[in-house]
Amino acid sequence: MNKSVLHTDDPHILCLAKLLNGFQPILFEKEDLIAYDCDGFTLHRHLPKAVVFPETTEEVAAVVKYCHTHQLPFLARGAGTGLSGGAIPLNGEVVISLARMRKLLEVDLENRRAVIQPGYVNLKLTNQIANKGYYYAPDPSSQYCCTIGGNVAENAGGAHCLKYGVTTNHILGLEVVLPNGEIVEFGTNGISDSPGYDLVGLFTGSEGTLGITTKIIVRILKNPEGKKTVLAYFDKVEDGSQAVSDIISAGIVPAALEMMDQTAIEGVENGGYPVGHPRDIEALLLIEVDGIEAGIDEQIEEILTVCRARNVREVKVAQTEAERKRWWDNRKTGFGAMGTISPDYLVQDGVIPRGKLPQVLSRIRKISQKYNLRIANVFHAGDGNLHPLVLFDANVPGESERALKAGSECLLACAELGGTITGEHGVGIEKREEMRYVFNDEEIIAQTNIRAVFNPDNLLNAGKLFPTPGKCIEVKQV
Amino acid sequence: MEMQTKTPVLGNYIYPDLPDASKWADCVHCGMCLETCPTYNVTQQEQNSPRGRVHLMKSIAEGKTTLNEQMAKPIQACIDCRACTTACPADVQVGALIEEVRGQLRQAMPLKGWKKMVNNLILHQLFPHQNRLNRLGGFLKFYQKSGLQTVTRKTGLIKIMPDHLVDLESVMPEIKKPVRKRYKDMKVIPAKGEMKNEVAFMTGCVMDVMFTEANQATINVLTRNGNNVTIPEKQVCCGALHFHTGEREKGKELAKQNIIAFEEAGTIVINSAGCGCMLKEYEEIFHDDPEWADRAKAFSRKVQDISKYLVDTGYVAPKSKVNVKLTYHDACHLAHGQGIRKEPRELIQSIPGVELIEMENSDRCCGSGGVYNVLQPDLAGAVLKQKMEFVPDDVELVVMGNPGCMLQMSMGVKKYGNGQRVIHIMELMDQAYQKEEVE
Repeated sequence: MNKSVLHTDDPHILCLAKLLNGFQPILFEKEDLIAYDCDGFTLHRHLPKAVVFPETTEEVAAVVKYCHTHQLPFLARGAGTGLSGGAIPLNGEVVISLARMRKLLEVDLENRRAVIQPGYVNLKLTNQIANKGYYYAPDPSSQYCCTIGGNVAENAGGAHCLKYGVTTNHILGLEVVLPNGEIVEFGTNGISDSPGYDLVGLFTGSEGTLGITTKIIVRILKNPEGKKTVLAYFDKVEDGSQAVSDIISAGIVPAALEMMDQTAIEGVENGGYPVGHPRDIEALLLIEVDGIEAGIDEQIEEILTVCRARNVREVKVAQTEAERKRWWDNRKTGFGAMGTISPDYLVQDGVIPRGKLPQVLSRIRKISQKYNLRIANVFHAGDGNLHPLVLFDANVPGESERALKAGSECLLACAELGGTITGEHGVGIEKREEMRYVFNDEEIIAQTNIRAVFNPDNLLNAGKLFPTPGKCIEVKQV
Repeated sequence: MEMQTKTPVLGNYIYPDLPDASKWADCVHCGMCLETCPTYNVTQQEQNSPRGRVHLMKSIAEGKTTLNEQMAKPIQACIDCRACTTACPADVQVGALIEEVRGQLRQAMPLKGWKKMVNNLILHQLFPHQNRLNRLGGFLKFYQKSGLQTVTRKTGLIKIMPDHLVDLESVMPEIKKPVRKRYKDMKVIPAKGEMKNEVAFMTGCVMDVMFTEANQATINVLTRNGNNVTIPEKQVCCGALHFHTGEREKGKELAKQNIIAFEEAGTIVINSAGCGCMLKEYEEIFHDDPEWADRAKAFSRKVQDISKYLVDTGYVAPKSKVNVKLTYHDACHLAHGQGIRKEPRELIQSIPGVELIEMENSDRCCGSGGVYNVLQPDLAGAVLKQKMEFVPDDVELVVMGNPGCMLQMSMGVKKYGNGQRVIHIMELMDQAYQKEEVE
């Protein structure tokens, strides 16, 4: 589509369009913008002013510089699969979509790293290097479509982060456009542990409030020699939780240790990737062990023994790669499958010390009864990262509010049991207020001061990550 | 006081035949569909993604916007390939929703001018009438044989045709006598050897005019495998093109004619993925129509794609060796629409000597989408170009089971290919059987 036919008088839109060279590089009609009014968190919706599609770092910098000069709020968006609202244009931002910056720039096997653009899809990296025997470890459930740029912003986790660590453990260097349009690089040529402050670490998980990532150097790993996966069904959820603790206490570090409760099982079994899990069990565990071939069978044997000691109803090892993949597809589509049993859901992301699993699950049950809303649990049990899914219907008056309160109370339970309010989804809009469960005013001010160093005008992704003004510190600061 | 009957509305959907809100209620906006969508893949814009479209369709019901030309763009840009339905964790029926909303759009913005004329001519005057289609076939045959084709190509007349029509013209198969004419006087085409089953064959409208040989091959393969074949005379176009473009009333009218035409039949066999998918959806389309619901359901459940039918009822593997390297393209309406992936591959691999090279992203849409490649040539062209990157260079044949794909992929092969040939899976099977008869 030709740029000369933009039907608008808005000078900003006309100027922004001139900064970009791609096909149809700017959207500004309401009907096009609706697709960008929220991300994977749907409780807040705001239309952006426009969406732009840069294809190079220079184009991103030009747009940012323009916004900075004209004091237009702006933010970056990848695939829009975030679950805490980090890409929602709360202030009518200019949304800078990085979806067209989706190139794999370099694979450097010798130094075990790859250089990618931020819009590159997570799973594509592993698919691209698999034939050479390598993979990219962080595997959020949305990895089929989420972008690594978004993973960096949210410091995304995933099922296999129990053994291999979350995104921040795999980022070696970043190219960033700062909120004034300046292009900078963090991390010396992808060498880990370079001198000076760890700015790569600071940026990873900053939820798009410090700058916009335009190039990423990631660590890639050699495929493990062997891999085995176990599925265990428990009649009692307490037995399942206890088995989790027992496995870790036995000295095994599984690559992944996942749990789903009865409501979650109902969802995935109604969804697109059913496995045939029994619907009358209270919990299932999905356990994967990988590493050097020798020793895997012993670990599997030990896991089977632990499960049997905890009254497992049935426990089995995947016999084929197809079977293993099916179990994982079923688990990884767990959130989306909630659509089959509820019109809306709110996913929480609390973390607790592993030993507190039985207590927290019983508190969540009570919260569910108190608010009269079903809560499904799909989570990374191994690292104590819970995902209570509060099921509700936004069309029933009052249910959204109740769901938000129930979700918040789940996080309070986690905080009170010695844990925290997010493990991998980020704070975004969703958990701004809950930051108070884990930080006092001084601690929050210390962090907004850091933000002010990079983003002094707060034009970039304002209103995220910290409690809103009104009740709030940002006002007190002034 | 007289009671006024009010037409039910749903937000800003105000026309009869409302979209089914329960379908978008299943979508939780997770985004798992994005990467599988061919139009998202070429534009990277979310209004052109399944999730974006569902969100937009829902926002009309919420009163946030109206049925207008701007909202129509992404809705019309959907190829209806159903890849999102395969990817969706919640099984959201995006394809059916798109068709329902296109029905509303058609009523809100009736076609005007030449578009209306062309639409009427093709969807109302042509496709519903097999004899007229046959006559068009005759005309095309005349066009090809009389030298008119050469004239068009040489005189420069072709230069004033839009690019994509030129491309289409160049790959049009040679038109032959349709099977419905060939077997006009036969009540039953008898099985060769012992009769095991009886099937009613739905010839497809375009299929029978443009791809007669695939239909002939299908009949040969069916009779070779012990099937008595009937071709019910009253059958008409399945209506898929009408539903795709929002002509739902006409589509329903055709569907009813087919339901009646096949009421006596036991199994209905079809060799066109698009038509097969449509026929199976009659059940959903009439589900709340008290008069037709049961009959539509009975009809839909009798429909079988030819590949699955052969594998399910048992077939004789060809005995002669056919030394050929080939690849298989999953037609969207077979793989995503009907979940049929392994049966065609089984048939292909049953032929001795055949080497099947799997194509990466074999179930990615080629951009055909019924008449999509005519209505949205730019996007269809971009989608085709991406698809062709996955077709292996070193194969002779690209095998598939859908006429729309055959035309589109023929264009792809001609433009970007390596001399590969596009062939219907039944033609491949038939050739293998025929070789065995000769030997």
